[in-house]
Amino acid sequence: MAPIGIEPFIKGLNSHGRRLKTLSQSGKRVLGYFCAYTPIELIHAVGFLPVRIMGGRGTISAADLVSPAFICPYMRRALEKGLRHEYDFLSGVIQGYTCDVTCGATKIWEQNIGGELFHTIPLPYNDNPDARRFFRASIQELIDKMQVIGGRFREESFEESLTLYRDIRELALELYRMRYDWRMPLTASQFLTVVLAGFVTPPEEYRSLIFELLSEIREASSSDIGDSVPVLVSGSLVEEPAILDLLEDSGGKVVADDLCTGLRNFQPPSGEGGDAIERLIDRYINRMPCPSRSRATDRAPLLLQLIERSRARGAVFLFQKFCTPHLADHPLLVTELKKRGIPSVMIEMDETGINEGRLRTRLEAFFEMLRA
Amino acid sequence: MANTDKSGKSKKRLAAAKELNRVVTEHYMACARAKSEGKPVGWMPPMNGAIEIFYALDLQPLFPENWSPVCAAFGLAPRNFEVAESLGYSRDLCGYLRNIIGYVHGPMMEESTPLGPLPEPDILVSPGGGCVPVMKIFHALERRFPDARVFKADLPQVAVEDIREHHIEYAISEISRLIKFLTETTGRKMDYDRLKEVVRLSDQACALWDEIMTYRRHVPTPFSAAEIGIMFVMVTLQGTQTAVDFLTSVRDEVKHRTEAGIGVIGDEKIRLFWDNIPLWYNMGLFNYFENLGGVFVAETYSAAWSLRLDADRPIEALAIKSLMSYPLVSCVSVKKRVEKVVDACRAYAIDGAVLHRNKSCAPITLGQMDIKRALERELGIPSVIIDADHMDARNFSAAQFQARVDPFMELLLERKGTR
Repeated sequence: MAPIGIEPFIKGLNSHGRRLKTLSQSGKRVLGYFCAYTPIELIHAVGFLPVRIMGGRGTISAADLVSPAFICPYMRRALEKGLRHEYDFLSGVIQGYTCDVTCGATKIWEQNIGGELFHTIPLPYNDNPDARRFFRASIQELIDKMQVIGGRFREESFEESLTLYRDIRELALELYRMRYDWRMPLTASQFLTVVLAGFVTPPEEYRSLIFELLSEIREASSSDIGDSVPVLVSGSLVEEPAILDLLEDSGGKVVADDLCTGLRNFQPPSGEGGDAIERLIDRYINRMPCPSRSRATDRAPLLLQLIERSRARGAVFLFQKFCTPHLADHPLLVTELKKRGIPSVMIEMDETGINEGRLRTRLEAFFEMLRA
Repeated sequence: MANTDKSGKSKKRLAAAKELNRVVTEHYMACARAKSEGKPVGWMPPMNGAIEIFYALDLQPLFPENWSPVCAAFGLAPRNFEVAESLGYSRDLCGYLRNIIGYVHGPMMEESTPLGPLPEPDILVSPGGGCVPVMKIFHALERRFPDARVFKADLPQVAVEDIREHHIEYAISEISRLIKFLTETTGRKMDYDRLKEVVRLSDQACALWDEIMTYRRHVPTPFSAAEIGIMFVMVTLQGTQTAVDFLTSVRDEVKHRTEAGIGVIGDEKIRLFWDNIPLWYNMGLFNYFENLGGVFVAETYSAAWSLRLDADRPIEALAIKSLMSYPLVSCVSVKKRVEKVVDACRAYAIDGAVLHRNKSCAPITLGQMDIKRALERELGIPSVIIDADHMDARNFSAAQFQARVDPFMELLLERKGTR
């Protein structure tokens, strides 16, 4: 496989802490978020930089003093890093409401790590005129709060932010189309690195990076996945490229995903509506659903569509350990996939990384079975 | 050993405990005969305004979240867990979720159970908002009972201290939408005078609840957390005369015990606070502390019902109740919850707190360490953490429990100089 230039993404990811610290010291307000349901366009529009809080692999000690062990390792690691002052460059946390754990972690962050602004947006679960009116009022409430700490909301800059993030999502979706067509020269872990870098890179810069990557990739021809078994990966937040390397080394090839650090972050690129706020609302209401905000029965057809589009032959569920929304949806999804002849396997991830030997054996057996 | 009694039942001191058994039985009998009386049955989550709407429309509400403690108390939970786990539901999921999903796919159809079987739902009030496990329970129930009419409810998740006008407005629109849905689905008409009456009864129950809890400030406390089963009426019968009558009799008894100086144990040495849901399969655990001179005089869950409803503005009252109840006891409102626990521990002259780190409930467990630190910092009250689970006995170790509780009680006795 031709080497593709993903160095800027790797570099961006590896050095983001240092870089964001410098940015915040120069006066730029950086606001953290946990979930991809947070309307980052709005944060960007008032002049702040929205950055997704990362957990990553590592030990946990400080977080044990603020949270139980039976919540997802992502959130425990994020709290750990916050408590160890690795996120001191944040001015606060803005969250679009998703699951119990992010709700609690935002409050715990506020109590134990601190910052200027903490706000959870109670996104409606339904779509009707009352729900949209309520969403609009909630957006206004957030704008007001951000203005109190120095943000400045202007209609024109909001339009620019909407366009900027729409562009990024559209470029990312083009990468996805290449993936579905088996023309993606990047490995799944490289692909993940590209996505992850987008969470911590200023969007103006990221748009250029992803545009350049796309130009380069378009030329790299690769329409063959060899002996590998094409699979869909579905699950929660995945931050560990190594697990995807292991998956592809064991005989699989990721040709589609339903991940929070993947397609769910990009789909759809924008919304429709009479004004900018309505377009923002429309996007977040119609976002590709996370199980914390949707029914498994609504998700199953989407997975099947992705499987059909990408010609995947199996599904690998990759869950953060203890992730209630995903674990609760899992039985129904397995059943629905099975009905269509799509076998699946489930892997739970914890903060210590992966038990490589055992996992490899399981994955190899799974792909072997799919090849047969 | 910590409660080795297989029944796991607690020792009750209130005469009202017997009356409670009757009320529980009568509620589930009412659920069972509702259909034959022409009353549609609706399954719903507790701690919101749907219950009063159901009673006002003379519909039968039923609460899966209440059925789970019943299953735990009768020893039915392990079988339900087995069924749920065989369907692929992970053991890391909330015990309420595994219990009810197991029940509706197994024992509900297979065998006769005490107080059961539950009648199938004609209506499901399926929540958006509240905790994720409850939301997922109802999604599973929608699939299990495809003939039920489903109301997809929505409720803003906001910390109590952050509730603003637009949250209330949206909650009001949701309550109104529920009324419209129920009247259209059942053909019944809403009598708003009747709704006011129901909300008035609900408010009266809350007032009685607060009054009953206030008596526990007295030393010795007239009753302990071992009797917390009385909250059954707050969960399943809020808005009915039955709840008000029952709570009135509890109030009278508690008042009498307080005035007569009748405590839970002969010598109340240590006053304790319980955080998180009790171990429903082992309520006798509360009695364990009594042998060591400790009595639980207050607990987190009581706060969920400590609010008032304005019967003259019933829809708004139910909207506000819906917005507040769950955040008051969960991580939606950590700041407020910490404040309330600190206030309660001060008011109830608490000596020590027992924090149940509940594997089955992340939303209540999150924020618990903040409670622990606030109690130490502001009141000098020490706490002990016990690792357990409100539904699944497999996540409770009696030996580990004792290893933590015994030295904790010794420390408290030493501090009080009553050892």
